Amino acid sequence: MKKTEPDDVEPLPYTPSEEVREAQERRLQKVWAVPKGWRYLSAVNNETVGGWYTSAALCFLLFGGVLALLMRLQLAVPENDFLSAGTYDELFTMHGSVMMFLVAVPIFEAFSIMVLPEVLGSRELPFPRLSAYGFWCYLIGALFVCGSLFTDAAPRGGWFMYPPLTSETLEGYGPDVWLLGLSFIEIASIAAAVELLVGVLKVRPPGMRINLLPLYGWYLLVVAAMVLFAFPPLIAGDLLLEVARAFDWPFFDAARGGDPILWQHLFWIFGHPEVYIVFLPSIALVAMIVPTFAKTPMVGYGWVVLAALGTGFLSFGLWVHHMFTTGIPGISLGIFSAASEAIAIPTGVQIFCFIATMLAGKLEIRTPVLFILGGFSTFIIGGLTGVMVALVPFDLQAHDSYFVVGHLHSVLIGGTIFPIVGAIYYFMPLVNGKHLSERLGTVAFWLMFAGFNATFVPMHLTGLLGMPRRVFTYPTELGDTVAWLNLTSTIGAFVLAGGVAVFLFDLLRPKKNQPYAKRNPWGAGTLEWLPDIPEEVPWGVRSIPEIDSRYPLWDQPDFVKHVDEGRFYLADAEELERETLVTTPVDGKPIYCLRVGGPTFVTLIAAVFTGGFFILATFHLYVPAIVSAGLAIAAIVRWLWKGTGGIPAKDDKDVGLGLVLPTYVSGSKSVGWWGMLITMLADVTAFLSLVFGYFFYWTTNAEWPPPGAPDLGLLWPGVALALLLGAWLCTVAARSLNRADRGPLYHAALTVGALAAAGGAGAILWAPAAAGMDPTTHVYPAMVWMLAIWTALHAGLGVLMQLYCVARRAAGHMDATHGAEVVNVTLYWHFAAFTAFVTVAVTAGFPIAAG
Amino acid sequence: MGTEAQHENDPGDDREPYDPEALGPESLEQEPLDGDPPEGQKPPEERESLWWLAASPLLWLAHFLASYLTAAIWCAKVGAEHDPIGPVRVAILVYTLLALGGIVAIGFFRGLRPHELGTATVPHDFDTMADRHRFLGFAVLLLSGLSFVAVVYVALPAVFYGSCR
Amino acid sequence: MSCAGPQSALSPAGRDAERIATLFFWMAGGAVVIWLGVMGSAIWTVVRPERAHSKRTADLFIVGGGVALPTVTLTVLVFYGLRMMPGLLHPGPDLEPRIAVSAEQFWWRVTYRVDGAEPVELANEIHVPIDRRTSFALTSPDVIHSFWVPSLAGKVDAIPGRETHLAFEPTRAGVFRGACAEYCGVSHAWMSFHVVVSSREDHEAWLRRQAEPAQPPEGPLETRGAELFQSSGCGACHTVRGTPADGVIGPDLTHVGSRQSLAAGALDNDVDGFERWLTATDDVKPGVHMPAYDALVADDAHALAAYLEGLQ
Repeated sequence: MKKTEPDDVEPLPYTPSEEVREAQERRLQKVWAVPKGWRYLSAVNNETVGGWYTSAALCFLLFGGVLALLMRLQLAVPENDFLSAGTYDELFTMHGSVMMFLVAVPIFEAFSIMVLPEVLGSRELPFPRLSAYGFWCYLIGALFVCGSLFTDAAPRGGWFMYPPLTSETLEGYGPDVWLLGLSFIEIASIAAAVELLVGVLKVRPPGMRINLLPLYGWYLLVVAAMVLFAFPPLIAGDLLLEVARAFDWPFFDAARGGDPILWQHLFWIFGHPEVYIVFLPSIALVAMIVPTFAKTPMVGYGWVVLAALGTGFLSFGLWVHHMFTTGIPGISLGIFSAASEAIAIPTGVQIFCFIATMLAGKLEIRTPVLFILGGFSTFIIGGLTGVMVALVPFDLQAHDSYFVVGHLHSVLIGGTIFPIVGAIYYFMPLVNGKHLSERLGTVAFWLMFAGFNATFVPMHLTGLLGMPRRVFTYPTELGDTVAWLNLTSTIGAFVLAGGVAVFLFDLLRPKKNQPYAKRNPWGAGTLEWLPDIPEEVPWGVRSIPEIDSRYPLWDQPDFVKHVDEGRFYLADAEELERETLVTTPVDGKPIYCLRVGGPTFVTLIAAVFTGGFFILATFHLYVPAIVSAGLAIAAIVRWLWKGTGGIPAKDDKDVGLGLVLPTYVSGSKSVGWWGMLITMLADVTAFLSLVFGYFFYWTTNAEWPPPGAPDLGLLWPGVALALLLGAWLCTVAARSLNRADRGPLYHAALTVGALAAAGGAGAILWAPAAAGMDPTTHVYPAMVWMLAIWTALHAGLGVLMQLYCVARRAAGHMDATHGAEVVNVTLYWHFAAFTAFVTVAVTAGFPIAAG
Repeated sequence: MGTEAQHENDPGDDREPYDPEALGPESLEQEPLDGDPPEGQKPPEERESLWWLAASPLLWLAHFLASYLTAAIWCAKVGAEHDPIGPVRVAILVYTLLALGGIVAIGFFRGLRPHELGTATVPHDFDTMADRHRFLGFAVLLLSGLSFVAVVYVALPAVFYGSCR
Repeated sequence: MSCAGPQSALSPAGRDAERIATLFFWMAGGAVVIWLGVMGSAIWTVVRPERAHSKRTADLFIVGGGVALPTVTLTVLVFYGLRMMPGLLHPGPDLEPRIAVSAEQFWWRVTYRVDGAEPVELANEIHVPIDRRTSFALTSPDVIHSFWVPSLAGKVDAIPGRETHLAFEPTRAGVFRGACAEYCGVSHAWMSFHVVVSSREDHEAWLRRQAEPAQPPEGPLETRGAELFQSSGCGACHTVRGTPADGVIGPDLTHVGSRQSLAAGALDNDVDGFERWLTATDDVKPGVHMPAYDALVADDAHALAAYLEGLQ
């Protein structure tokens, strides 16, 4: 028995009567039911949406795999003509893009949306409708991008899309499909990251202090935070590249002051953390599975937390190791090389914690364990070759050769695919109540493992024998060894595919006559194994437990029984609302009862119109695109108006065990405030990436502003700044006025604020126009315009939010004590004011300061 | 500093032995049995923030960016390719000393001290405020150690490179 | 299996490639040892007969294997790698790069600086003297390429708007193959070149020959080819020094017949190779900027090919 505080909450000392429990279950069933028939598409339950999301990501995994097999066929022999060069280029571009953007990141988010509430013993994630919106965005964007392959409009610039090849040379819509289609999906990824981050921090069961958080939660926290800071630089880069393509702005044209290297910085500031974003969630799965089969708690919990957090931070200091051959100064190379080596330390710590756990317990060899050990073997190869390529001298040879292809697939297949397949074998009983076959699983494993090694181990040598990456064929002149190694890789790829086919067969074969697995079939200690099998109820946990241990199923006596009998919190849904508990991030103290939205089509509609904007913009149909964006905003406003905030009938509620919690909070206690904060951190990261671009051009241009460039002056930027800061102050004042219940003044403050913001947006755009800046002439005016447009868009969004707050209070959905909307909008305006200040300081102030 | 390991099946070996020397003279009066700190030394409850976890890694990041940007901007705007980069090396040395000082301070005051509050219960997996406090201290301590090594690594190139080439 | 090959980083023929290959063999050996150690201990934990191990063993395992071992190994490696770099980046005795390489879709424009004379522009082939460090300046007018001769040194990108540098210090005479290593468009796979390493005397003699104008056509077939070359407008893009052809868009052809290969490594340098190139450029190299002269009657194509092959 674990030690607890003296006042620790105990479950209800008696079992509630049968009738009480049945009545409770009826109400829970009614509230949490997943819609049937065509309304199924309106479902927002985390398990349903997570299930769709995971299945879709697996389908795209197969699609990406088929593309790879086609490429391996082409490379089987030298000077082959199975595929044309153009087709091959489309295939490798799509293979990389699909695997990275449509599989690797989404599959972890998808899987986490499905299991995180279970892992945390809660009923739902904080924003279920946001998950659904994210899923629909993902699906629409992914189908659009993949569909391009069948209409001969596929991108062929590589998954890294380096300009000027992609900005100046490539014709057609290919790069636009990539830029806009994937930006759309990146936004969905950020939405899911917001959801998961707030979920782990705020929607934990009572008593789950930060030192008891399951390791899965720690990894998710780190990875979601990484998504938040890694994706925005890429979105900023996408914006620059798309504007360069569509409107001939010279961001990457050296003749007009641009520089293609800026794209590489922005891409790899995203791209390197991305590798760890992909890899850490799989290690999180391993951290859930290994203790179960070793039958002992994870050894070195604190060390694993160190490794997760340490990797998260260090991964942002490695990006230039993808640019070691771009001729940047040696000292910069050295700094990035050294940082790249440092990240191997936390990675090593994780591996050794797992082995130490296996040492402290005794591992039972089942299919999931086979995949995990196979993953270790493969991943360690990738890690060791990673240490090699992080060393500049060796990288000068290995970079962009097949050595790197071997290295990255060892990391990604060993570190990601093997653990994910292992996890599917492990978690399948939770999904449909049935085990997958141990025998087929073993066959699948050995085929995949042998196939993997035959495919990718030879590539290290192929690369060092001189074969560059991304070649559609290679000359016979390279020698017999290269030819044989390539043939081996091709055969290996098909063996690997055979293993995947066996796994798929196992997954999809009918299992009608197979008996159900027993509850908690592997004897795990963590909360996700609470649900009964087969699980026929939609509500997740029967009651939200009080947690005293890292492994409550092992350590807390009669835990499952107490949960099942509703002897913990929220065993009922008296008000027929979807409810879950929100707790404090550090000590897991309950603070309020959160009500989340139920099924709705509005998320699907909003996603369709959001997709419409990106897809229409791809084909330069800007007027319909803007109409579509307007409709998307209308759908989102309706969703927020109907589905969020509002004054509850009762201000507090008895959640069980004598605990009375408020049903409404605002400010930093509420999940909505955290959602806004986290979203805006991502937003400001994208903005700072643009500012980085401005200063990057300052370093690459001998004179900045360039000689003869128009002078922005101080008048209009000054007016814009004054108006926007005024709008911010009005919003801050409105927050106080609402709290003081000064209705008329509140409305006046927000209205004046909205007018000031609209004027500020106009003034900041007028400034470069009045100065006669033409963004197509040089990168200097282009960058000034870009920052001004970014700020104006944020001011415009701020106006919408201010008017929304005006309408909410006027309609009686807000009052002095229920003011979450205006509190969150004020938070938004803090960031908007910062954006305006930096934009004016940079565009108007820096040229004066610099000379 | 100790490592964590847990043995559910082996309660006799469950906890680190109580080590009075590690705690200093006053702590000898403490009750060693339940791992609670004495009255008046209770860890802060909700005021405790997760941000301290990020402190040392953020110092690493600041050091890293400062070193890289100083070198990159110097080489782009100030020095020619073959000129010596003495000022850059001095700047990196100063950043490094500042960062290492900060990391050591964080590691000691926010890491080691909370980690050793009261009696050591190394896996820090009790459902108590004291253990949560010790756990956060332990994590801060480890992250400070990693950040320390990483800062030293990032500073090393300044030793080997004398020009912008 | 052998590590030899015209484009192998593991059979080095230059100082830089030698050092990197040595580094690789050390790292690869170390990696095998570490892999065996880690996987061995993982498998041992599974197959060992006895009961659970003590906490102290598990602790030691994490601190020793997970912390101390990588930190020490990596520190050694970082020191070694950093110390090696200034030597690899060193330009050698020349203040100005000896050879300027402009990487273009999908070929290499090579210009030699000659002391006290006009520079000599050639294409798709580079000659360097043995035992001397020769530095290169790399540029690109279109997209990013990467200049890589694995047997001699590592690679460096050629980037529009920038000039990057690289140096070779060959230790063994011979012909080595180089390639573009950065994806640069549809014929990226066919953007190769050869590097010829010879003694300093041979190198200088070769460069003197290359600086001379083209020799006039010899036989009647070649003479007809020369006339066709001028009348078909080849000179709009290509230069043949000593003739009116002075185009600068495509490769200089003054001594094209003397090169190791045609079309940046895509074809053998013989009359058949020229004929195939002239009539089917896009089949040989998809996306190439030179149009196919498939309207040429076979005889004309043959004559033109014979003329070009004769430009020794």
